[in-house]
Amino acid sequence: MKFDTRTLVLMAIAIVINVVVGQLAVWVKLPLYIDAVGTVLVAILAGPLAGAVTGVLTNLIWGLVSDPVAAAFFPVSLVVGLVAGLMARLGWFRTLGKTAVSGVVVGVISTIVAVPIIVYMFGGVTGAGTDFATAYFVAVGQELIKSVAVANLATNLIDKILTCAIAWIIASRMPGRFTASFPFYQKANA
Amino acid sequence: MIGQGGPNSGRTLLFVPGRSVLHRINPLTKLVGLLWLAATTFMLPPAGMAAVALAAIIFGVLAGAGATFVKRLILTLLPLTIALFVVHGVLIDRGDMVDHGLISVSPEGLKYMFGIVVRVAALLTVSLLFVTTTHPAILLKALDSHGISPGIAYLIASPLLLLEPFSVRARAIRDAQQARGLDLNGRWVARAKAFPALLIPLVTLALSDLDQRASVLDGRAFRARPFRTVLDAPLDRPWETWARRLLLVAIPVQIGVVLWL
Repeated sequence: MKFDTRTLVLMAIAIVINVVVGQLAVWVKLPLYIDAVGTVLVAILAGPLAGAVTGVLTNLIWGLVSDPVAAAFFPVSLVVGLVAGLMARLGWFRTLGKTAVSGVVVGVISTIVAVPIIVYMFGGVTGAGTDFATAYFVAVGQELIKSVAVANLATNLIDKILTCAIAWIIASRMPGRFTASFPFYQKANA
Repeated sequence: MIGQGGPNSGRTLLFVPGRSVLHRINPLTKLVGLLWLAATTFMLPPAGMAAVALAAIIFGVLAGAGATFVKRLILTLLPLTIALFVVHGVLIDRGDMVDHGLISVSPEGLKYMFGIVVRVAALLTVSLLFVTTTHPAILLKALDSHGISPGIAYLIASPLLLLEPFSVRARAIRDAQQARGLDLNGRWVARAKAFPALLIPLVTLALSDLDQRASVLDGRAFRARPFRTVLDAPLDRPWETWARRLLLVAIPVQIGVVLWL
């Protein structure tokens, strides 16, 4: 599939938004990533494939310029873009309530993809804040994989609901002449 | 979940300028070498992975990137090692706990911890070897000179070129909002409220010039030809072409051998 020039430019800007918004989350010291706003925005405006490509390139480029470990999580970003785009196609980004449901779906599926990477590549921990929750669940007798899943699911649900809500607010507040040239968005919101 | 550890808040690029042998090798050769080393790492015992990491660190220091290596290794490996020690060394009971007074530690858990740490260290150091000696612009020229399509080249190049100005813009927005009383060090509610004040101007500014950028690209007919030509393509010696071919064949062969055995 060949993307039109406008979609290509949107994807490039979205990759930068992902990286820079990740920096904003660090500045405000919130225990969340919020680093897929651009990916979900592209998925809402241009569809699942554009969202998936944006997600993958974000991680590979981030890995290339600043944090090589980020590249290991590219499958997670791929499914975030893909699932958000499919939810948008089914009309689940039309209202804030539906967007929250989409956030839950994206959060659950991205956790399913992230958990094996965290467990088999990093031994169940990553050096991030979620490790405290993982350690707690292991300490109370849960299996490692279940502990990682529960700890990351809780963080991911809040993170992805917030990410989807921010992306939806941005997309729905953009002028009509901006969104008019994205046929996917027009069709999904018809 | 770009990277579980969060982004670098300082310098955007890890690239360290220099004239070392690694700096002069074609970026595509280094990229294929990185893929081969990453694939090989998964097949080695912990001692082999530690040797790969140590060799990569030595090459990194020789390339003038020692400080970057030390900083990234500490930032990534220290919290990871502590978390692995707590979870695998102390909390998971493998039935071999040895009492050390204050805590009981599992030797088997520590062995597992060591295996994970050296694997991540090996992957991290070989990746660092690539990113510290390869400027993204040179990598792009290498890709262009090998016939990559203009659309893909734009998707890789444009974010790399936009990252620095956008980071500067984000810092300017932060400083301006702080001058107006934005609190980034207060309670979590105040910090959560500060987030939209930073986010909305940044994203709105980013999207506002989308049409202009698209028009400029279309005006230049940047996709009129299937690939772009490069006037100063990075040097690509014949031995590098053969090395890349050999390594690209070696990757699936190695994986096949390991799966077979």
